Amino acid sequence: MSRIKDLQKNLFGGTTSNARQFGMIFTLVAIVLIFQIWTNGLTLRSDNLIALFQQNSYILILAIGMLMVIVAGHIDLSVGSVAAFTGILVAKSMTEWDLPWPAAIVFGLAIGAVIGAWQGFWVAYVGVPAFIVTLAGMLLFRGGNQFIGNAQSIPVPEGFREIGSGFLPEFGPNTGYNNATLLLGLAAAVAVVWREIQARKTRRAMDADPVPMWISILRMAVMVGVIAFAALRFASGRVGTSFPISGIILVALVIAYSFYTRNTAGGRHIYAVGGNSRAAELSGVKLKRVNFFVMMNMSVLAALAGMIFVARSQASGPQDGNGWELDAIAAVFIGGAAVAGGIGTISGSIVGGLVMAVLNNGLQLQGVGTDKVQIIKGLVLLLAVAIDVYNKSQGRFSIIGSLMRPFRRDDSVPPASPPDAEREPAKAAVSG
Amino acid sequence: MRKFFGTSVVAVSAAAMLALAGCGSGRDGDSSSSGDAAKGFAANSLIGVALPAKTSENWVLAGDLFSNGLKEAGFQADVQYAGASTTVADQQAQITAMTTKGAKVIVIGATDAAQLATQVAAAHAAGAKVIAYDRLITNTPDLDYYVAFDNFKVGQLQGQALLDGMKAKKPNGPYNIELFSGSPDDNNAGVFFNGAMDVLKPEIDKGNVVVASGQKDVKQTAIQGWKAEGAQARMDQLLTSTYGSKELDGVLSPNDTLARAILTSVKGAGKPVPVVTGQDSEVESVKSIVKGEQYMTINKDTRNLVKETINMVKALQAGDKPQVNDTESYNNGSKVVDTYLLPPVAVTKANAAEAYANDPKLAPLTK
Repeated sequence: MSRIKDLQKNLFGGTTSNARQFGMIFTLVAIVLIFQIWTNGLTLRSDNLIALFQQNSYILILAIGMLMVIVAGHIDLSVGSVAAFTGILVAKSMTEWDLPWPAAIVFGLAIGAVIGAWQGFWVAYVGVPAFIVTLAGMLLFRGGNQFIGNAQSIPVPEGFREIGSGFLPEFGPNTGYNNATLLLGLAAAVAVVWREIQARKTRRAMDADPVPMWISILRMAVMVGVIAFAALRFASGRVGTSFPISGIILVALVIAYSFYTRNTAGGRHIYAVGGNSRAAELSGVKLKRVNFFVMMNMSVLAALAGMIFVARSQASGPQDGNGWELDAIAAVFIGGAAVAGGIGTISGSIVGGLVMAVLNNGLQLQGVGTDKVQIIKGLVLLLAVAIDVYNKSQGRFSIIGSLMRPFRRDDSVPPASPPDAEREPAKAAVSG
Repeated sequence: MRKFFGTSVVAVSAAAMLALAGCGSGRDGDSSSSGDAAKGFAANSLIGVALPAKTSENWVLAGDLFSNGLKEAGFQADVQYAGASTTVADQQAQITAMTTKGAKVIVIGATDAAQLATQVAAAHAAGAKVIAYDRLITNTPDLDYYVAFDNFKVGQLQGQALLDGMKAKKPNGPYNIELFSGSPDDNNAGVFFNGAMDVLKPEIDKGNVVVASGQKDVKQTAIQGWKAEGAQARMDQLLTSTYGSKELDGVLSPNDTLARAILTSVKGAGKPVPVVTGQDSEVESVKSIVKGEQYMTINKDTRNLVKETINMVKALQAGDKPQVNDTESYNNGSKVVDTYLLPPVAVTKANAAEAYANDPKLAPLTK
């Protein structure tokens, strides 16, 4: 095995199904570097990075739930309306019914759960396609938002705003950085190293092919380097700013849901259902329960996203949530999920969301109007998925490989042939 | 294997170096505290202008005027419109981007006046001055100035024009009038009505002007959603209930759309056309005024509003305090905002040609 293949296989813990994600990470890095140069260093300046996370945390939270919905073979068009509906109710609960803000957050999540149960019921137990159920939900809850809010904006109190626009406190000695952010970065670096050591131990215990030492170290070095860079950047913003609280919520959710989808039976069932629901059911997966869960989970996350947006905007308004579903769906597909279901990862969707976010931010820093930004984002979405489809029709994901392909093209391979589709979930199950 | 070990050590140190080189300076942004702005800023600084989506001609015109006007004044202009569907989020991101780029003044025509406080606070903390254009941004102590047309004055002009118009038609009173006001959920609707009543109330008290239906309360006169059909229905009703034999001399209408609906109703009932006020200089109403049906409208010239805003930016650049003429009326919920109010202009058939001389769309209608 050549060293490049070795690297590709092991550096990001991936086999072929992860190579797309590997490609997206490089795309993301490339976009960041291009804009960093083009905007004369504004892109990676700490205040811009902080703003980038605050601006997009709610979309990325939606992308987590959307990934699970799409992997299960469904779609959810109602997330923006659910977010807006929750937002207005939560704002009202605090300003008119005098609910304290922590109770209001619980109230908001409960609304999300109830809406999710409603949509999950129709999808899982009645069998109405999710596209229709959530299209109805999109109208239903958008109307609900306007009915309750009278198309007006309702402000939210100080404490509640923290989840959308808050920062970590300043404490400890004056290091010239935000100490809380530095500690978070340190914890993340330690976690990465610990995980790598654990993984090596497990492989040795299982008598598996050990990952070459140099790759382990290189992987740790890259990750620790990125974490150190990010931590220092986020910690060096204006006094009073740090890694944003909405970003911390996002990171916690990404870790929790990545673990759930990769390492637990419940999470693997979602992939099984999306890959081949009939086969999954025959092998004992409770189909209805999985479908109910992904739809309900999506609405809870939409409620959370709605609250974070309201907290950041300091008011709930009639425009909240417009078009969010499309941003979330785009993030998931750019991040390598398959339209047919069964394939995709949380981290991939986050990378996909970040590609869109950085693109948006960089173009805005350049003063490009929203009209052109939308055109560019549309083309990026189309290209990203087109490359995926093309690569799949070649039966391989490698970009380098596809460059060599013309010399040994085999036209008889149909795009996404059935055995391929059935093999994928199993592969994903190994690699995550 | 050992060879690669060496490579990775190099890689580790490279990554560390990269990280440190990027951030060796520690906290940035400390230097740009808001105190500096009082001394002015460079003449070629960046000025950000964030406007709502391009849904009305007025905003498109304002954007063009801002780009050209700011460039003529020597500034770099960054004029942005919110997108059509995700307006609030777009505007928030645009204001943040302008702050990051180091804009010295950010002019905001808010798409939702209550949802921009976080971005305004960040801009203020970075040393930028924030001017609310046309729409007051609420619930933030960090808004510096507000530029708009004087809406109370709009009401006063409407009230005065109503009196003048009736006097021109019929030298002596008492005059029978009816009152209409805008949508109850629009803050401005009440301001217009109070302005008009400021002029009409003394005449009503003297008995010179009579609201024949007796419906004088703003709750009775309001037209939900500024809807034309609402105004038409209410006018139909009033004509049936009150004006069987009496003559209707004048109607206070808060804007042009309602004014035309009122005129439609009166004409439908076969009554003589009363003196009807309006606002906004809508094309159809300007035609109606020239034809002698609607009596008056209000001209709020976007050109003047933009010009005044740019004057404010120039004053800030020079380190002066911009001219304001109202320091007590506009409380946004957190503070009273220093405001420059422009006088609106009342337009009747008599001065229409002069008032719209600079307006390429309306000027031909007055010839």
